[in-house]
Amino acid sequence: MVICILASPIIVIRSFGASRPQAQEASNTAMTLLSKTITAFGSLLLAHACYSAREHTALQSIRAATAATLTSSSTAATSLPVDIIIETIISTFIILLGLVLGTRPLRPLEWRVWAGKIEREGEEGFTDNAGAVDKDYMGNPFSVLESRPNFVDIRKQRKEFAEWVQKGDGKQGQ
Amino acid sequence: MAQVPVQSIHRDPQLFYWILFPITIVMILTGVLRHYATVLMASAPKKQDQKATREQRSLLHGINVRGNHHVLSKPSFTARRDALITAYESGAYLKNPDSRGQPPPNPMSDPNAMEGMMGMMKNQMAMVIPNTLIMSWINAFFSGYVIMKLPFPLTIKFKSMLQAGVATRDMDPRWMSSISWYFLCIFGLQPVFNFLLGSDNAASQMAQQMNQMGPQGGAQMFGPGVDPNKQFLAEAENLAVIEHHSVLDGVEQRLLAGIKV
Amino acid sequence: MPSEQELQISPIVQESLVHNSRTLYNLQSLTASLFGVSAGILGLESYSGFVFYVALSLVTAVLFYALRVAPTSLASGKPPLDTSRYFRGAYDFWAGGLMNGFAGFVLTWTLFYGLVTA
Repeated sequence: MVICILASPIIVIRSFGASRPQAQEASNTAMTLLSKTITAFGSLLLAHACYSAREHTALQSIRAATAATLTSSSTAATSLPVDIIIETIISTFIILLGLVLGTRPLRPLEWRVWAGKIEREGEEGFTDNAGAVDKDYMGNPFSVLESRPNFVDIRKQRKEFAEWVQKGDGKQGQ
Repeated sequence: MAQVPVQSIHRDPQLFYWILFPITIVMILTGVLRHYATVLMASAPKKQDQKATREQRSLLHGINVRGNHHVLSKPSFTARRDALITAYESGAYLKNPDSRGQPPPNPMSDPNAMEGMMGMMKNQMAMVIPNTLIMSWINAFFSGYVIMKLPFPLTIKFKSMLQAGVATRDMDPRWMSSISWYFLCIFGLQPVFNFLLGSDNAASQMAQQMNQMGPQGGAQMFGPGVDPNKQFLAEAENLAVIEHHSVLDGVEQRLLAGIKV
Repeated sequence: MPSEQELQISPIVQESLVHNSRTLYNLQSLTASLFGVSAGILGLESYSGFVFYVALSLVTAVLFYALRVAPTSLASGKPPLDTSRYFRGAYDFWAGGLMNGFAGFVLTWTLFYGLVTA
């Protein structure tokens, strides 16, 4: 896990550099694994810090109780040890980094930028972190217009068909 | 300066296991259950007859023309506006043109309206019933003691709310009883539901909000007791006062300005 | 915030707007709960806790900008700290998290404060 954390800046930089669509998917899966690892590691640290703080206060209250019975001067409750504070803050930042890395990629807001992204990247531009295409991805909203049939002159086609049938009849009749 | 001594109350750690965690878990489970109950109880949209659909759609047509007039050219907008205004004012799209000018019927007597209100009632019930049940459950079992301390000070006014059932005059209002933990849960568990039920949960809420803002937000527009004739007349007036401009006005200048030589 | 005329000339995609704000909202509510946990563990009280929350929300916004918005936004020629490629209104982006996650923050803060300093 430590290696993973150490290697994280390299992967992050590499995934930002990857602009080719075929590299996008691989880097996306790497990103989701990375963010999950970071978050899990940070949660472990945070849980440890929480447990330590809990034990510390429990110990403190026992000591205060015994001190109160032994001597009249009660020791003031000291604050948390520095190492627990540092561990909490560092783990918070680690989880924060993991969560931010785990968010889904944003989509451009302006219509022309968005349409350009659709045309240039297609489905690869609208994947979530796991590399699957988003459920609400619909592609070009005007693709129906692009692929709809042109006007068909049905009368002309019928006439041509009738001529062809007549010709066939004529040939068979001969 | 006299330091106010910090009140400390020794509490049994078992309070957490037998009060705090049960309440939280029950709240989370109720939220999940409510989500699925609303999904199950959602009634399919009712079929409407042709006349009623035409009435609603033609009104929406007018609203959409008004909202998107800038993509139409001037002559085509004028043609649409004139046709719509004459149709609206003559009442050509009304469901029953005979009842123009009469007051709308009492919504209670209309069976269709009753059904729509039943749907709203069902949603309300799904919210209200679990909440009252849990609240009375907490009041019955867990009232009368203090379980924890808020990390921020409050004024004395909160005392009656936070320490319901604990009749102690000198206690700091930061100490809170189980019922106030319940209130905190109501407000603060939304991220948990987002996380558990997926973003679809938030999506549905957001989609509802979007719908209400957009022109398709139908419940109050076509609700019972609204006179469609009045709506049509108001819409005709809105259409008539539009000052038309097209997005293509001055497009040549914009294009030339956008080209960098 | 662009005017109505500009909005008609260069329209925005509603689905993208919903998608982006939902992504940001989910992140904000999750991180607010996380900040509550750490504030509770640290045993912060009253003002220091709220200051902690505000500061970390700003850090979240900056981090989100740096990792998610900046790479493409800067490449498309926007000035730094400009979020108009993905969000309408800078205020929602930078300070919206304060409102969105506040209830979750108070909940977890209270819970962990109670658990740790029992």
